[in-house]
Amino acid sequence: MAHATGLIQFSGHQHLRHRLVLSILSGKPVRIDKIRSDDKNPGLRDFEISLLRLLEKVTNGTVIEISVTGTAILLKPGIISGGPLTHDCPLSRSIGYFLEPVVMLAPFAKKSFQLTLRGITTDEHDLSVDLFRTVTLPHLQLFGISDGLELRIKRRGAPPAGGGEVQFLCPVVKQVKTLNFVEPGKIKRIRGIAHAVRVNPQFSNRMIEASRSVLNRYIPDIYLYSDVYKGEESGKSPGYALSLLAESTTSALHCSEAISQPGVAPEDIALQATRALLAEIDRGGCVDRQHQSLVLLMMVLGSEDVGRCRMGEPTLRTIHFLRDVHRFFGTSFKIVGADPLDKECSHLLYSCYGTGYINANRTVA
Amino acid sequence: MDERPHKAHRPSKTDKKDKGKGKEKQHGFNEKAFAPKSGRTADKQGRRNAERDQTRLHVPLVNRTPDAEPPPVIIAIVGPPGVGKTTLLKSLVRRYTKQTLNDVKGPVTVVSGKKRRLTFIECNNDLNSMIDIGKIADLVLLMIDGSFGFEMETFEFLNILQSHGFPKVIGILTHLDLIKKAATLKDTKKALKKRFWTEIYQGAKLFYLSGVLNGRYPDTEILNLSRFVSVMKFRPLVFRNAHPYLLADRIEDLTPREEVRLSKGKCDRTVTVYGYVRGTNLRLGTKVHVPGVGDLDMKSVTILGDPCPLPDADSEKRRKLSEKKKLLIHAPMSDIGGVMYDKDAVWINVPGSFTRGNTDVPQGEGEQMVMDLQDAGATLEDAVAQSHIRLLGSSSKHLTVEAPAGDSDDDSDGYEDEEEGDESGIDSDEDGEAGDDDDDDERAPNPHSTGRAARRDVTRTLPTASTSKIQRGEVEYAESDSDLGDDDDDEGMVRRFRMEDGDALDIPSDEEEDDMMGEGDDDEEEEEAAPKWKGNLAAKAQAASSNARRRKDWTKLIYSSELTPEEVLAGKEEGAMDEDEEEEDDGEFFRFKNVPRKDEEEEVDSSKIVWKEEDLKKWEDEEILDSIRGLFITGPVAADGVEGEGYEDEEDEGGDFEDLEGGDESQPSTSAPPTTESSRAAALAKKKEELKRKFDEQYDDPEASKVDFYTEKKDEISRQLQLNVEEFKDVSAETRALVEGYRPGTYVRIELVSVPCELIEHFDPAYPIVVGGLLPAEERFGFVQVRIKRHRWYVKTLKTNDPLIFSVGWRRFQSVPLYSLDDHSIRMRMLKYTPEHMHCYATFYGPVALPNTGFCAFNSLAGAAPGFRVSATGVVLDIDRSVKIVKKIKLTGVPYKIFKNTAFVRDMFSTALEVAKFEGANIRTVSGIRGQVKKGLSKPDGAFRATFEDKVLKSDIIFLRAWYSIQPRKFYNPVTSLLLSDKSQWAGMRLTGQVRRDEGLKTPLNVNSTYKKVERPERRFNPLIIPKKLQAALPYASKPRVMKPQRQQTYMQKRAVVMEPEERKAVALLQQIRALRKDQVVRRKEKKNEKKAVHAKKAEKDEERKAEKVKERKKEVMRATGRKSKRESEAEEGRGSKRRKT
Repeated sequence: MAHATGLIQFSGHQHLRHRLVLSILSGKPVRIDKIRSDDKNPGLRDFEISLLRLLEKVTNGTVIEISVTGTAILLKPGIISGGPLTHDCPLSRSIGYFLEPVVMLAPFAKKSFQLTLRGITTDEHDLSVDLFRTVTLPHLQLFGISDGLELRIKRRGAPPAGGGEVQFLCPVVKQVKTLNFVEPGKIKRIRGIAHAVRVNPQFSNRMIEASRSVLNRYIPDIYLYSDVYKGEESGKSPGYALSLLAESTTSALHCSEAISQPGVAPEDIALQATRALLAEIDRGGCVDRQHQSLVLLMMVLGSEDVGRCRMGEPTLRTIHFLRDVHRFFGTSFKIVGADPLDKECSHLLYSCYGTGYINANRTVA
Repeated sequence: MDERPHKAHRPSKTDKKDKGKGKEKQHGFNEKAFAPKSGRTADKQGRRNAERDQTRLHVPLVNRTPDAEPPPVIIAIVGPPGVGKTTLLKSLVRRYTKQTLNDVKGPVTVVSGKKRRLTFIECNNDLNSMIDIGKIADLVLLMIDGSFGFEMETFEFLNILQSHGFPKVIGILTHLDLIKKAATLKDTKKALKKRFWTEIYQGAKLFYLSGVLNGRYPDTEILNLSRFVSVMKFRPLVFRNAHPYLLADRIEDLTPREEVRLSKGKCDRTVTVYGYVRGTNLRLGTKVHVPGVGDLDMKSVTILGDPCPLPDADSEKRRKLSEKKKLLIHAPMSDIGGVMYDKDAVWINVPGSFTRGNTDVPQGEGEQMVMDLQDAGATLEDAVAQSHIRLLGSSSKHLTVEAPAGDSDDDSDGYEDEEEGDESGIDSDEDGEAGDDDDDDERAPNPHSTGRAARRDVTRTLPTASTSKIQRGEVEYAESDSDLGDDDDDEGMVRRFRMEDGDALDIPSDEEEDDMMGEGDDDEEEEEAAPKWKGNLAAKAQAASSNARRRKDWTKLIYSSELTPEEVLAGKEEGAMDEDEEEEDDGEFFRFKNVPRKDEEEEVDSSKIVWKEEDLKKWEDEEILDSIRGLFITGPVAADGVEGEGYEDEEDEGGDFEDLEGGDESQPSTSAPPTTESSRAAALAKKKEELKRKFDEQYDDPEASKVDFYTEKKDEISRQLQLNVEEFKDVSAETRALVEGYRPGTYVRIELVSVPCELIEHFDPAYPIVVGGLLPAEERFGFVQVRIKRHRWYVKTLKTNDPLIFSVGWRRFQSVPLYSLDDHSIRMRMLKYTPEHMHCYATFYGPVALPNTGFCAFNSLAGAAPGFRVSATGVVLDIDRSVKIVKKIKLTGVPYKIFKNTAFVRDMFSTALEVAKFEGANIRTVSGIRGQVKKGLSKPDGAFRATFEDKVLKSDIIFLRAWYSIQPRKFYNPVTSLLLSDKSQWAGMRLTGQVRRDEGLKTPLNVNSTYKKVERPERRFNPLIIPKKLQAALPYASKPRVMKPQRQQTYMQKRAVVMEPEERKAVALLQQIRALRKDQVVRRKEKKNEKKAVHAKKAEKDEERKAEKVKERKKEVMRATGRKSKRESEAEEGRGSKRRKT
């Protein structure tokens, strides 16, 4: 009864999330050591521990062993169970940090996900819940995960005290569709959400105003919503932010975000977000940089067909991710220039042969 | 050929006749002839057409088997022993190859047509083989002995097929010549056909083969069969369409002999198996399962030349006339033709012992050549040393081989590679084809070169911050064109040179360097001159141009280089790197540890892109803002086309970017205004045309543009398949194998490691070896929940916790199932036995199979097992790591003290702690009074206070219904039948009863479990006595009604009857009549009895006669059985003596 499938080893604390996700999806146990072993404060951080807890909650039969010093972990994955769950995120990272791996796992669970996360909804490191709702989830829709996919922002929580709450609902699929997304199209609409909690509600209007001053020249179809949460729902700390997204004719999405900083006027924050959006649009491609790894993962997990996607150059994370995918699934991408004639074009065409990943966790009848 | 005078063509009579017929037909399709005569006929015809249309529809399924070069179709020949399987196989092979086989072992592959190859495999009578064959066969030739009828194995095999996806089945009736009477033959055929049809489907094809001629079936009949086979279409089966697999037609042991010898043959072996990949793409890195052996790791997969290739135009041309008759056959296990192909060798088997000096063997030309080859006097190295090879025709010195030959080889390889890289860097200004040609040229003489991915053996460390690199970085492009002279330096020398004076190498001004470091340098230069954003722009253009000029090979950088992602992004190439690091290395020693730590502090695991200040700064400029207008729908209309043209122009000019500076990106439209106009007009015209076409289409026939769902899906599937083929067409075979795996239809050699030695030692080609690919999920273990139904022909019921042999997916294994049933959707309740004629759930521990996979189960695989062996069939529903199955448990207790509605209960629990656990639980008495556990009592341990809805009796039993969760036993035992010397003798875990019987143990008897007679004494109730006083007080309605018995005689009793004489007479007459009647009845009875006795005698006689008849019939049956067993035993003895002609 030798069940030990090849243990995969990593070292370093970087890219912990996608390594754990890949391990759970592929079913291969993973061992990560040298986690900040040279640091003054060695071992796992509180948010990483919390992430491991969350992963243990969403799965059944997962064994997580953490060494005494906390510098090494061993994860023997179980099956993804899903169902109604609640998790309190620590205040050191925002909800986005936890939501990102969960989004990758959720479609392959046994029962549809109803995950409630509490904590900070928007911060400077991770994607805010607004972007998750408006950008990340539509990316999943490209792969046929759509019915019942929802992120409800119940309360907002700005750093440092947080107090926000979101509910993530995700259906279960048998198999994700093969992606063939090579036409970036042209931007047809711009949407945005400006929110301000525990500050003057006029701030969001000021941000919208400033943003429109730049964007109005391009396109008439611009709606920037001012999202105001009051009382209980507005969390424990003051803060405001603007998140923008541009949608193309082929429904490629580009997004940007800027959040309040002490001593900076809301107009400047808005301009920052707007310029970031323009820069992102300028980069082009069918998928923006924040969502490269999500899209690539779903392509790998597609049916045994060739999936193609046009994107910009891979980011650092993406390169790491691609290498890790190769170790876990043995799948490698063919990456070539999107337009061999156009030398100016920095876009790349990522194509891969899906692994034919079928959701084995799903119950029949 | 043309010169030879031909005989004039003489038209044949029959031809003419045919032609005439054809001509008549040619008159044209007579529409009137097929037009319906009446409305009713028209209606009927219409309905029939619609119905026929519907039968065309199936669920659209992707067929992963390529159309171009599909793997051979596996045709399994299955049937009971002695039915003529080998004869059929030989006849079929003879039909296709014109060769007669003597001894058939293992699969035989032949070419049957332009597009089709067939692999024949004979299935022996072992249940394991039948299971494995059933999982891979595309077509089953099911042989039935016509003179005997269906046998149990046939039905078992059909049931196995049914649970693993039904392949096509053709029935074949043999031994029909043994039935002499024509009428009997007709009846037999009819009966067997009827049974066969109910088993497969109405109208399933059934062939009749009459007797054997020259050890083969009649040629015409085989021809007909082969025609049927050649036009057969196959629908992909779901399981096979999701898993790669191959049927090994050859197996070889690669273990070093020495290792085998040292371990006395017991070491794990390295084994190669050969076969055509089928199903989906086979990928390295996944596990495979060999049924009968276990899960194995693939060490390597190699594509081999097709041993039995399909004929193409080229091969047809080359084929000589004399070979026309000789057709390809590939049967390595049967040793046909004596040729075997390996990865790098072809083995030729020559009859007789073929050794040097043996003069018995006739020595032909070929043999002589082989002998001569063995006459090598010197080793290859000596030969090379002696030979004088000159590199160029003009060179004066020949090449010499020195001691570190390997090193210099490596170096030159490395050099070549690098040069290739450089060249491509420069050349990419020209069109891409030139670069490709270069590559080809370089590769051609050196097929083994592994490309740029092969790195030199230089130890590498992590790089430091990038700034220092740029300043000191223009080091290592020593290998420029001018350095060509140095190329025969070996690596060690170069290194030493560097260590002596690192600075000396920092010579700038190489073209490549500019290329390489262009970004950084230009950046700095520009920044001095231009305003900031402009500088950036130019730099960007520059960067873009340099990017374009030396386009990165991202695939290679990411997957086959050891660069860190940071380096990959920074645009470093692999060749440059090792030297970089050496440079850094030689300075400090203790810096290493600090650097990464600093990085770590900065790096946060975040997905958000952090924009730099300057990146955003440039968007303050209006011009920049305008530059991206083209990316919006409101932007310039034909911006795309114009931009593209503009860039093409630039390319023509030769990549001189300086003159375009800021203009090229910001104002794409200004560069060529006239073209813009015309192109815009053209685009508009095109758009209009498109719209017009669309409108016409919709206006003319709104239905035509709409395709039905089925066609749409099919189109989608075919489009995707097309894309799959196209996408990796231009990639080299090895890379392609890496990216998409080995496609179905390729002939591969799979190296399997740590294979149990018994597989090789007890190898028997009569047992098929199937290599089934596993999906990642299937490598794991867990609790598998299945829906199961006991087979209606299996006589026993199945019991929970009795081991069962499952055949799920590729695997065959024994496990211990737990049967359960859904109890009102509240709980899964355990069942002791499988229910009759009903599905239930079973949960067992074992390797995971995907939900919806069918399976069948057996209690025993042994051939000797009586009756029908398929004990259950079903489908996998769910996979989990834990199970929630409960069984009911009733805790009973008795009340020992009863108050009104309260009772104290004991004997239910043993401790107060248990009571505490069950506080508030519902309890009930046998008589139906409901209650609740309240609180434990301190005094008698485990007693508690309970309340009821009514007063309970002391004689009542109180019980608490609880649910106890149970886990299936974690037992998994793979059926390793291929590892046994006698492959049909696999024995798994036995039942307790079997073990006891084998060991001669008695079943332990628990006294409490013995059955005793239940004695239930009649219950006596005392009479209800109501005190007088109470009676008196009762209201009248409630008073007991007490009536005294009547004491006086009634009138009827006490009256005297005096009859009149007439009356008396009448009474007397009646009496007489009655007496007469009585007598009559008695006499009649007597007579009847007599008759009965006679009849009984007759019946007895009849009975005797009947018994005689039954005896006769039994005798006949026994005789038939005897005949069959005799034939079987003969078949066992040997094939030659098996089929004697009578």
